[in-house]
Amino acid sequence: MAERAAAWSRRRQGVDHFPVTITRRRLYILPTRAGLAFCALLLVMGIAGLNYANSLALLLAFVLGGFVLVTMNLCHRNLQGVRIEGLVAHPTFEGDVARLEIALGNDLRDARLGLDAAVPSASASVGELLGGTTGRLELTLPARRRGRQSLPRIRLSTTFPFGLFRAWTWLHVDETLTVYPVPRGALPMPVGASDRSDGRSTRQAGNDEWAGLRSFRDGDSPRQVAWKVYARGLPLLVKEYTGGSSQVLDFDFAAVPGASTESRLQQLTRWIVDAEARGQRYALTLPALRVGEANGPLHRHRCLEALALFGLPPESSHA
Amino acid sequence: MLERLARADRPLMWVLAVYLGAVALHVDRLPIWCTAAIVLISVWRAMAAMSAIAMPRNLIRVALGTALLVAVAVQFSTISGLAAGTALLAAMGAVKLLETKTRRDHYIVLGVSLFLMIAACLDRQNLLRVPLYVAITWLACAALCIVAAPQLAISARTALLQAGRALGYALPVALLLFVFFPRFQGQIWSLPGGGQAVTGLSNEMSPGAISQLSESDEPAFRVSFLGQRPPSTMLYWRGPVLHEFDGYTWRRQPRQLARGADLQFRGPVYRYRVTLEPNQRNWWFALDLPSGPVPAGTRFTFDYQLMSIQPVTQTTTYELSSQTDYRSTDDLSFLSRRMGLQLPDGRNPRSVVWARRQRAAAASEQDYVLRVLNLFRDGGFVYSLTPPRLDLDSVDDFLFNTRSGFCGHYSSAFVTLMRAAGIPARVVTGYHGGEWNPIGEYLIVRQADAHAWAEIWVPGKGWTRVDPTGVVAPDRLQRAALDRIDAGEFAADALVAELGWWPRAVLTWDAANTWWKTRVLDFDLRSQLNLMKNLGFEAPGLRELGWMLAGALALWLAVVGLRFSRSPAPAPVDPLARSYRRLCRRLAAAGAARAAHEGPMDYSHRLSREQPQIAAVVTPLLVDYATLRFGAPPAEPAVREFTRAVRRVRLPRAA
Repeated sequence: MAERAAAWSRRRQGVDHFPVTITRRRLYILPTRAGLAFCALLLVMGIAGLNYANSLALLLAFVLGGFVLVTMNLCHRNLQGVRIEGLVAHPTFEGDVARLEIALGNDLRDARLGLDAAVPSASASVGELLGGTTGRLELTLPARRRGRQSLPRIRLSTTFPFGLFRAWTWLHVDETLTVYPVPRGALPMPVGASDRSDGRSTRQAGNDEWAGLRSFRDGDSPRQVAWKVYARGLPLLVKEYTGGSSQVLDFDFAAVPGASTESRLQQLTRWIVDAEARGQRYALTLPALRVGEANGPLHRHRCLEALALFGLPPESSHA
Repeated sequence: MLERLARADRPLMWVLAVYLGAVALHVDRLPIWCTAAIVLISVWRAMAAMSAIAMPRNLIRVALGTALLVAVAVQFSTISGLAAGTALLAAMGAVKLLETKTRRDHYIVLGVSLFLMIAACLDRQNLLRVPLYVAITWLACAALCIVAAPQLAISARTALLQAGRALGYALPVALLLFVFFPRFQGQIWSLPGGGQAVTGLSNEMSPGAISQLSESDEPAFRVSFLGQRPPSTMLYWRGPVLHEFDGYTWRRQPRQLARGADLQFRGPVYRYRVTLEPNQRNWWFALDLPSGPVPAGTRFTFDYQLMSIQPVTQTTTYELSSQTDYRSTDDLSFLSRRMGLQLPDGRNPRSVVWARRQRAAAASEQDYVLRVLNLFRDGGFVYSLTPPRLDLDSVDDFLFNTRSGFCGHYSSAFVTLMRAAGIPARVVTGYHGGEWNPIGEYLIVRQADAHAWAEIWVPGKGWTRVDPTGVVAPDRLQRAALDRIDAGEFAADALVAELGWWPRAVLTWDAANTWWKTRVLDFDLRSQLNLMKNLGFEAPGLRELGWMLAGALALWLAVVGLRFSRSPAPAPVDPLARSYRRLCRRLAAAGAARAAHEGPMDYSHRLSREQPQIAAVVTPLLVDYATLRFGAPPAEPAVREFTRAVRRVRLPRAA
C-alpha cells in the first residue's frame, strides 16, 4: 500500500530539480492520530449537544469543529511555499553514516515553524524558519556499499501549529551519495616514483609544525586564515606550517599487493586518507584512470571517488 | 513557582492550567473532598515536575484511583448521572495527571478537560459563565499548540495568538453550523436528574405550616407581549389549582376527573411569549385564561391549568394568546360540584358555623361574598410574610385568632368559607404581576410574585376569580413598576431615564440574559424553520436546511481557503541581504556561483580551493557578511560600508 502510494507520488511529481518550491499540487495532508481522536471527541460532544437539545454544548462542539478545519488550513499553509534550495549528500566511507544536508528558504513574511524532514533511517527538524531567511536540515543515511548510492525519497512535513494534521511533501531526487571504500589495511605507503628528495620514508615526512603567521596572499585557503586574529581587528593573516609536502606519493592499484580488488581499494583508500591528513601530495593510478599529483580536499575527493566507482558499471547505483 | 514549573515541564503546566480551569467550572457541584483531592494531586504533580518530590508509584496510583472511585460511588450512591459522572471524570483526570509523561498522556488530560467543559455546558448555561467557557476553550487550544510541539519551545504569546487566530476564523463557521445544522426534536436518551430542590410553587399548600415566606428574587419566567398588553390588575399567571382540603393542607386533584366547563371568551386578545425557567415539574404558566390553541406537547386540564407532557428541566419558550374576560354558561358538572364543595368532616367547626350563619343572613350569594370580604377588610386582618404557625384547624385559628397571614392564608380561609356556605370554590396558585424591564421590554415574574387566589362558581358566569388578599393588602397587588406598563410603549425611554444606574444595570443584565436564553439557548428546529421562512423559503424542511448548511459551509471554506492559500506577502529584504544577493549574482556571472546550501564561510572555503583568484578578492567580503549577519545585530554604518564594498569590488574572470 505504502509502496504503491510512493510509486504514485513519484509518477505524479517526477524527479525534483532544485530549487523546488512546495506548491499545493505536491502537498498532501491528513489528520494525525491526535487529530482523529480530537474529531472523535467532537463527535461525542456534538451528539450530546443534539440529544439534549443543548445549544451551548452544540455551539462549543461547532466552534471546535471549525477550529479543526482552520487548523488544517494553517498546517497546509505552514509548508506551502517553502523553497528547497538544494541538497547535498556528503560522501562518506562504506559502513559509515553519511550526512544529507537540505537547504530550505522562506521567501515569505510569515515564519514557518516546526518543519520536519525524514528518510526511513532518520529525521530532523527546523524549529523556526523566519520570513526571508534560509535554514538547513541535516539527515543521516547509512552508507552501505561503495559506489553511487541513490537517495531515498525524503519526506518534508509539518504538524504545526496544533498537531492535529500533518502536511507533507515527497522529494524524489536524482542526486546520489558517493560511498568511498572503507579505509583499511596496514601496508606501508609506497615511496613515490616522482620522489625527488632525499628518499626519506613518507611516514617520517608528515610533521606539521606551527611555523608562524604571514600576511594573506592571493590563493591562500580560508582554512589557513587566522580568523581569531582577524576578529580582533588585525589584518588578514595566514597560519603557516612546516611539513614534508615536498614528497609526492604515487598510489598505483597495480602495485598494491593483495588478494582481492576490494582489499586493494581499501588499502588505497587508507593511504589517500593518511596522505591528505599529513598534507602530502599524491597521485592515484588505476588501470584505466590516472589522477595527477596534487593535494587538498578536492583532489582527495577525486581520488576516493575513482576508487569508489572502480569496476562498477557507469550507471550502476543501488539503493 | 510558576516560572520554575514552566522551565521544568511547559506542556505539563499548560495541561494543568486547562484541567484546573475545567474543574473550576464544577467547583460548586463537586464534593469538597473531591476538589481538595484534585488540588492536592495537581500540586503533587507540579512538584514532581520540578523534581521536588517523586512521582507516585504504580501501586499508589491504582490505590488512589480506586479510593476516589469508591468515594464517588458512596457519595452519590451511583456513578452515573451528571453530578456523579462529573465528579468521577474529574477525579480520574487527576489520577491520570499523576502518570503524565508522554504527549499522549497530555492529550488524554486535555480530552478529559474538554469533556468536563461539555458536562458544565449541559446544565450551566448562564450568560455569566460564557466568558469562562471562552477562556478555557482558548486556553485548551493554546495548550494543544504547546503540547503538540514541545521541542519548538513555543512562547505562551505565540501559542495564544495562534489559538486565538484559529478560533477567530472558526467562529463564523461555528455560527453557520449552529444556525443551519438540523436539530432533533426530543431526546434519544436522557440523563438521570440532578435531584435539585424545587423553589416557588409546589403541589400542595399548607399556609399554617409556614412561619416565614422567603421572598426569592429568582425569576420564574419572563413574558414579552406581542402587541397589546393587558392592564396590570389582570396579570394573574395561572398555575396549579388546588381542590382537596383536609383542614390544614390544600392539594391538587391529580386525576382528570371532570370535564371542564366550555368557555366563551370576550375582549382583547393578548399574544405573548413566555420564557419559562426550569421548574422540574410539568407546569407551564399562562395569563388567566389562555384562549388560543395550546402549544404542542402540552394539555389543558379540566381546571384550566396548562401542563406539559415532559417536566420542564430546561429553559423553555412558548407562545400563547389569552383573553382576560371569559365566562361559561354551562352547568357545573356533578363531579366538579362535589370537588368544589368538599370540606373535611369536623374540621374548622367555628368557621363552618360562622359561614352558615352569615349565608343565612345574606340576601344572595353575592351578598355573602361581600360579607366575607368585608370581614377580611374590617375584621382586624393584616398582611404579613411572617405569620404565626397555625394549629390543625388552621382556618379557625387564622380567622378567629391570629388574623395575620399572606395570600395562602386568605385564599384558604376564603374558599373554606365559600364551601361551608354551599358555594363551589377552589384555590388557584400561580404568580401575580411581575417587574417590567423597560430595556428588554418584557415582564420578569419572580418567585416572590408567587400568589394564591380563589375561584368561585357563579351560575351563568362560570368560575369567577376572587382575590381576598387584594382586600387586605391592595398595595401588595399594585407594585409601582407594574402600573407603568399601562403608560404605553413610548414611556419606556422615560422609564429607563428615571432608573438609577444600579437598577438599570440589573435590568440590562437581565435583558442580556434573556436574549441569550431565548435567542441562543432555546434555538431549536422550530426557530430554524422560522428563520428559513424569513429567508424566503416557502415550506422549509430538513432538506432545505441541509442545502443552506452545505451552501454556507462551502462559502466559508472558499473564503478561508482563499484567505490562506493566496500567496502570502513576500518577506521584506533587508539591505544586507540585498547586497549579499547582489554579490552572489555577480559571482555567478563570473563563473563562481554559490551552491544554494552553502553559507558564506563554506562558500569562501570552496572558492579558495577551486577559484583562488576570485576567492582572494571576495573572501574579505564574505567574511564581513558572515560577521554582520551572524554576529551581534549589525550597525547601520557597517551595513552601508558592506554595500559600498560590494559595489566597488572588481572580479577577475574565472580560471
